[in-house]
Amino acid sequence: MEEITLKTREIAYKDLSTGKVDRVIGFAKGDFIYESNPTFISDIDELDALVWDSFCVNNLSKYLINELKDVKKIGIFLKGCDSLGFNQLVQDNKVDSDNVLVYGVPCEGMVDPNKLKKDNLLKGLIDIKRSGEKILLITKQGDKELKAKEYEYDKCINCKHPNPVVYSELLGDYITRNNNVVDDFQEIKEIEAMNSEERFDYWSKQFSKCIRCYACRNICPVCSCDKCIFENYEPGISGKGKVDSEDQFFHIIRAYHVAGRCVDCGECSRVCPEGISIDKLNRKIIKDITEIYGEYDAGLNTSKSSVLVNYELEDFDPFESIKGGK
Amino acid sequence: MKKITLDKLSELYIRISQEYDLFVPSDEEGVVSFTPWKDDSNVDFDVLKTNLSPKSFIFPQCETLFNFKSEGKKLSIERLKNDENKFLIFGVRPCDVKAFHLLDNVFLREPMDRLYEEKRNRGTIISMGCIEPEDTCFCNSFNIDPLCAQKGVDVFTLKIKNNIFWKVETQKGRDLTVMLSGLLEEASEDDLKEIELVKESLNSKLEELPYFNIDPQKIDRSLIELFESNVWDEISKSCLGCGSCTYVCPTCHCYDIQDYDGGKGGERFRCWDSCMYSDFTLMAHGNPRTTQKERFRQRFMHKLVYYPNNFNEYACVGCGRCVEKCPVNMNIVKVIRELGGENK
Amino acid sequence: MSCGCNDYIDPLIPQIAVIKSIRTDTKDVSTFIVEKPEGGKCFDFKPGQCAMVSVPPIGEAIFSITSSPTEKNFMEFSIKRCGKVTEYLHNLEVDTEIGVRGPYGNNFPVNDELIGKDLLFIAGGIGLAPLRSVINYVMDNRDAYGKVDIVYGARTSGDLVHRNDIFKNWPASVNTNVHLTVDREEDGWDGNVGFVPNYVKELKFETNKVALVCGPPIMIKYVLLALEELGFSKDQVYTTLELKMKCGIGKCGRCNIGDKYVCKDGPVFRCDEIKQLPDEY
Repeated sequence: MEEITLKTREIAYKDLSTGKVDRVIGFAKGDFIYESNPTFISDIDELDALVWDSFCVNNLSKYLINELKDVKKIGIFLKGCDSLGFNQLVQDNKVDSDNVLVYGVPCEGMVDPNKLKKDNLLKGLIDIKRSGEKILLITKQGDKELKAKEYEYDKCINCKHPNPVVYSELLGDYITRNNNVVDDFQEIKEIEAMNSEERFDYWSKQFSKCIRCYACRNICPVCSCDKCIFENYEPGISGKGKVDSEDQFFHIIRAYHVAGRCVDCGECSRVCPEGISIDKLNRKIIKDITEIYGEYDAGLNTSKSSVLVNYELEDFDPFESIKGGK
Repeated sequence: MKKITLDKLSELYIRISQEYDLFVPSDEEGVVSFTPWKDDSNVDFDVLKTNLSPKSFIFPQCETLFNFKSEGKKLSIERLKNDENKFLIFGVRPCDVKAFHLLDNVFLREPMDRLYEEKRNRGTIISMGCIEPEDTCFCNSFNIDPLCAQKGVDVFTLKIKNNIFWKVETQKGRDLTVMLSGLLEEASEDDLKEIELVKESLNSKLEELPYFNIDPQKIDRSLIELFESNVWDEISKSCLGCGSCTYVCPTCHCYDIQDYDGGKGGERFRCWDSCMYSDFTLMAHGNPRTTQKERFRQRFMHKLVYYPNNFNEYACVGCGRCVEKCPVNMNIVKVIRELGGENK
Repeated sequence: MSCGCNDYIDPLIPQIAVIKSIRTDTKDVSTFIVEKPEGGKCFDFKPGQCAMVSVPPIGEAIFSITSSPTEKNFMEFSIKRCGKVTEYLHNLEVDTEIGVRGPYGNNFPVNDELIGKDLLFIAGGIGLAPLRSVINYVMDNRDAYGKVDIVYGARTSGDLVHRNDIFKNWPASVNTNVHLTVDREEDGWDGNVGFVPNYVKELKFETNKVALVCGPPIMIKYVLLALEELGFSKDQVYTTLELKMKCGIGKCGRCNIGDKYVCKDGPVFRCDEIKQLPDEY
């Protein structure tokens, strides 16, 4: 990804030095080759730290909320999924898009170091080069070619937005992904097919692992309340105790709070230290919304309001056909 | 030195579980953690770090302090009956054992935390040394020898090829070994030689680790200088303020005390809390730490400066869990480096 | 250390106590007299120490014990209504049982540094509560200490607490002066008018005293500056820090500041010790 790294440094240098932006949010290398970490640069002398490679998985858009309190204008590097989160933040009035320059980077998918680690491929790793459906591992012991689909993050496998949907500058050519006609909701349908006891067992087991670290909530671009309801410990709303029902409530309530606005970026599942597949809940809601109200479009643009806060007379009325109520 | 071959392990587990609640590191859906042993457990001694540290055996995520009944003007408080079952954790790594000791410093100093003490006494620890370090390991930086039994270990084991070598360290360990006699054999001369070879090769492997140069002793500025340093602005920027690092950390021990209202009565419990959360220090009339930078600084100052001032040891064991779990790759190594704790 | 069961002492378990009387002092401060159900003080303590008062299921909060340990029959807490637990306490009735555990924290060094010295107590608003424990201890052991000056101020005269002591008992004690002040002019008040820090400066105290300061953080800050102006050095001034506390025994980490725990190493600190702590209180 050498070329793209140079492009990111070029544009950042151009806009920082002319004062078009006061700060740039991008990625820098960490201690390990598989670590590309969020970095915040206001000084053009530090721009050599900027990189772009197959490990730039974080969605940086949420940092805008706080960073824009600090400086006036920010340049930010966003992938496709990130840009959906960005649009949603703009639509939720958390970020003023006039103060942000989006440097969009088309993305073929990010590589999951945990998957590499499971297959013992991290040892001696020097670099990774990505081209289409293949990943080339450059290691001290020689080079190795891998199938990208086997080592991408789960969230990248069915990526529907490899290209940023909003940008001031596009760094790189548009990418088309060959997703091989995969049913987006395959996993959801499998869970729907369970009977209610099996489904309850499945989800109880998942949520029993939850340690309420709130990493999922804190990384979600759409979860942006100043004071989260789960930080209110009045008895009756949610407590801190490790009570199964309260852990379940947390996830279910959060899924409903973001319903209609979730951009399906998959960050929640990626950051969960316990490996809970949180995004399945969100995707179930997306499936329901798609079936009831048509094509799901959270984060695609900021002109239309979110599907669940938008009422039109022609809207499908589930109570009529499914005979809701008592 | 005794040993047991891998094929006899399931018999060992069965025997132990007759007297103890046995916990082993097992793989469930790709995540390895200490779970109660069952005969279909997928025991995994090759993964170095369990997902969550074993501190939850002595300091559970949530435990009841007492039950209460509040009716009209009357209040009654009832302590819970102690759990009588002995438990045994098989395969605790030296870093995690050292972490137990660091927690002991806090919980067992006067006034002693009774719930903690009671669990500590009920537990038996079989530690397993590490013969192959991971890139994220830096226990050496805190003077922890991965091939040595830490203080407080009852039996120290090493898994080398087809054998698990077994060394008694305490009376509890001796009693356990006696209970298991018949399953354990004596290690041979060749076995002992092999262990020596493994020890030697480990030392050279440790030197090649990326974090080998981390040395917190090199941080030599005063408490106030470190507190007021401007490195904290930069390094805390990407912190999300979630609790991942605190919850997977084997030495973090902050907790909250809350009451659970069950109508006429309820229980008071304590549960893990994180100094990274925005309301950790919130009082009725204000909050001394309102920004993430201040909270971030507090966590690391506590581990690297405040705790050592009180106990002469760093409150970190170099296990590397925070390195692996932080969603934005922020971790204590980066902080130690920024504060100057590195051998150049 | 208080205990909730008969066999051994568990510092996190409160003992049952009874509210014997509730005296309304000001619009938001009441003083509670608390005894064991069978009568008598709940536990022994030293002047300046605190106790955790529990009202499950609402919660628990830490308060300074405002009575002196020389009072053998009960403990007093002066509590200002400012949060969940305090609001609930204010609405309780006499004879209600509550939980109490303690004593926590260090104490003012009444048996060490303060012996034989002239003492200057400076308090603002509800800050008189912790100092009262010391003042009454000094009054009950009057010969062991030198001249006592008490400077006490509140926003209005209606906010002054422990009126029996400030108007009657203390001025009547030998070699003891009480200087009261309110923030602004008001009808019926012919005492001093002005903020406590300014009053302290006006009173031009000599520096051969030990000063003990307690009150709202902003008042403490300016009083300490005033004392410095008068020539007091940091090791002559004691004050209290207040942070959120939960366990009270220095383990849960909430009140950790620098390498100290306010519940265990404080809340009483000498000002030169505070200089060594990070500025986070």
